[in-house]
Amino acid sequence: MNPALIVGVVAGSIMSGTSLLYATLGEVVGERAGIVNLGLEGIMLIGAASGFAATALTGSPYLGIVAAALAGAAANMIFAYLVVGRHANQLATGLSLMFFGIGMSALIGRPFVGVLITGLPRLPVPGFAPGEVGARLLSYDILVYLAAPVSLFTWWLIFRTRWGLGLRTVGESPAAAFAAGLNPQKLQYQALTFAGALGGIAGAHISVALTLTWAEGMTAGRGFIAIALVIFAKWNPLWAIAGALLFGGVEGLQLQLQAAGADVSPFVMNMTPYLLTLLVLIVWGWSRQSVAPAALGRNFVGVE
Amino acid sequence: MTRSRMIAAICLLVLGLVAAGPVVAQDKPPLIVGAIYVGSVNDYGYNRSMKDGLEAMKKAIPGLKLIEAENVPETAESERVMEGMVQQGAKLIFATSFGHQQFAFNVAKNHPDVVFEHAGGWMQAPNFGNFFGATQAAWYPMGVAAGKMTRSNTLGFVVGVPIGYAIGNVNAFEMGARSVNPKAETRVVVTGGWSDKAKEAAAANALIDQGADVVTMHVDSPATIIQVAEGRSMSSIGFQSVEARELAPKHWITGLGFTWGPFMTETAKSVIAGTFKPAMVREGLGQMMTIAPFGPEVPANVRQLVTASGDRIEKGFNPFTGPVTDNTGAVKIAAGESWGGDKMGNFDWYVEGVIGKAK
Repeated sequence: MNPALIVGVVAGSIMSGTSLLYATLGEVVGERAGIVNLGLEGIMLIGAASGFAATALTGSPYLGIVAAALAGAAANMIFAYLVVGRHANQLATGLSLMFFGIGMSALIGRPFVGVLITGLPRLPVPGFAPGEVGARLLSYDILVYLAAPVSLFTWWLIFRTRWGLGLRTVGESPAAAFAAGLNPQKLQYQALTFAGALGGIAGAHISVALTLTWAEGMTAGRGFIAIALVIFAKWNPLWAIAGALLFGGVEGLQLQLQAAGADVSPFVMNMTPYLLTLLVLIVWGWSRQSVAPAALGRNFVGVE
Repeated sequence: MTRSRMIAAICLLVLGLVAAGPVVAQDKPPLIVGAIYVGSVNDYGYNRSMKDGLEAMKKAIPGLKLIEAENVPETAESERVMEGMVQQGAKLIFATSFGHQQFAFNVAKNHPDVVFEHAGGWMQAPNFGNFFGATQAAWYPMGVAAGKMTRSNTLGFVVGVPIGYAIGNVNAFEMGARSVNPKAETRVVVTGGWSDKAKEAAAANALIDQGADVVTMHVDSPATIIQVAEGRSMSSIGFQSVEARELAPKHWITGLGFTWGPFMTETAKSVIAGTFKPAMVREGLGQMMTIAPFGPEVPANVRQLVTASGDRIEKGFNPFTGPVTDNTGAVKIAAGESWGGDKMGNFDWYVEGVIGKAK
């Protein structure tokens, strides 16, 4: 292990973990309201395409992020209407949403392939000369710096507010929530709006901050890793930080190990994030006390 | 369920619209040429190089009409796109992506009066030929450029999928670098896909973290990697389209680009004259490949060295002439032996000086 490798892995895990974290936080909120959204990948793609398009059109990456959040929220409203409003099957609708997102993002992004943008600027912590370890470790864009505060805020929202209590009640038992005078559908719509906005931001971080390009399907399965991360995080926004860093770190580590000349086949290296996902699901499967919201995946169609 | 089906149908419709692309009609050109691309022609990469070649052909033959379709998937869908072009009167069709081969061949069988040219394949018929750049040896001068420009003696190479041809590119690159700088090493990172942008960014960062101060790549579009290098004030060498230099105004060194124009023009002329003969065409520097303009930081003596090395390759110098040893010390090409042509797909080892595993 050389020091450059460790620094690189830490910086890399923070950079690639950020988009995973936003996506995971959104999915946590949705699932706390009892709704699994397998279409997260599609939402991220729509966010990536609209964020890139808006950045290219306005010249402002910050407006791009706002546009991505709005587009993600709007796309998730389609899902919310079908699942909450029309009681469609959540899994089937989620998968349809993913395909919709793939097509829609291709359509939005098409005129912007190859367009050059000024990406989300890095805001380095002052006091380090270029080339110093600190300059590599403490130089990120605004979305990275906001990731932990947003996680804390989401945690506070779910566990320390009246709204969050209502949300969790809906996720455990919509009928009980209804009997207590809450409006489960309204809460689910609100949760999915929030989730869509975060999913859109997650996608835009990839296109507007990480790669500065738009390409079809560029999220490359990260939406599904985020869904697995929700289980890893036990539906808790603070654990999501650890999960996102871990998964971002594994991807970063395998690339850094290759660059450092580790004696391992590159084919094995590229499998590690997915092996880790499987491992997490197996290990977590052993713990018997389930923490998943009890009504997760089941539609609330009212009480007789 | 009916609603989710409806959404699926809408998605298919949207995908279909995206794939089909617009087409327009005009009258009495000497030849109508169709072209299908797997991606967007604005990728600063492979598709852009094809587009540039076709535009050069269009310019060279007055009145020639070009029908194009971007984002054509490597599925039976591409057959329908090509059928549509034939219906519009195309007598020559360029299927520009490797995966289009079988589908182009199927359409060619139904239309013996239409000539098809496929990029990268091997299938042959009286109206079906194929072409591609002989890239490996052409990478040698890129290595010369990198070997002279590096200060850390560490070069970084991002590879999408480690197929033999890509490994051959890396090998020629390192051999070129060693020819002018015996201390130069090339570190390789494989991302596992031709177009995973986020991983490409992370891979470029990893190489720079490990000391690489010149970064190059063999992926579909060089855009992300070149921009990451530029953002960290590191030099880059492009591949596929020479236009990629726009992405790195400061630290661009040079690049290797495809120049399909002359071949496409010749083919179109032979179709007009009725003298088309199918062949498996593979051409390197000076024909289907070119060295891109140099960046502002490259001194005159380096430019001369690179150009001279390119001339040497053009005149037939083959870097894969034995003895060549791999990076474990084993002799892979014996003295007196040399590799070329089809052998380029057989590399499953890296030459001495490359840090990485091929399998």
